[in-house]
Amino acid sequence: MSIRSMFEAVVGELELKKRWRQLKARKQQLPENHRKAHDAVERYLMYSAGIADGAIVTAMAEDLLELFEQGAADGTPVSAIVGDDPVEFAEEFARNYSEGAWIKKERARLEDAINSITDSDLDKLDHRKDES
Amino acid sequence: MGKQMTEMLKGTLEGIVLAFLTGNPAYGYEITTWLRSQGFTEIAEGTVYALLVRIEKNGLVDVEKRPSEKGPPRKVYSLNADGEKYLEEFWTTWGFLAERLENLRTEGK
Repeated sequence: MSIRSMFEAVVGELELKKRWRQLKARKQQLPENHRKAHDAVERYLMYSAGIADGAIVTAMAEDLLELFEQGAADGTPVSAIVGDDPVEFAEEFARNYSEGAWIKKERARLEDAINSITDSDLDKLDHRKDES
Repeated sequence: MGKQMTEMLKGTLEGIVLAFLTGNPAYGYEITTWLRSQGFTEIAEGTVYALLVRIEKNGLVDVEKRPSEKGPPRKVYSLNADGEKYLEEFWTTWGFLAERLENLRTEGK
């Protein structure tokens, strides 16, 4: 790691820490029901979304908080924010941040594995054509 | 909302929202309110919000932040050129699907 990238990593970490502190403070401003619902969805996302990238997990948390802040400001009740299937909502929400999920590597590996099989099958087909 | 409606909306809500945004920039709350007025009464605000995050990421809309009296600044979404192109494709696909399904329904009679 070069000095420069080390420096950037440290600055990046500090920046993320700052954003997390701001998030924590903003959370406290939510009305009780919205805060409870927000915390429940956030907890679920932290477990289920499996996001390994700090910047992406922060962006996700910021977006989620903004949704509840806006809902609170508009007087939208919690039930109308998350709908009647909160798990479905959370999964749908998480999909926007899947580029940061640890499973991404495995998805790419699966795709590569399948693609390589298809490619070599095509090679065989071409080969047969050549022979005939 | 019925399970079937929820499933079908998954594939079409993006097009519906983009169509609404055509020539009509709006923020999330307005979009949800409009959807409810169109009969999608049980649509969750959060579902619309997640969709807006997605179409913003995919570059189909331009976003302008406007300060608001209460709460965080409001993001106003407007359709851009890529969004228009995407919507055109959506209508073509929809037309195909609707025609096939209608055929299927009338053939059986």
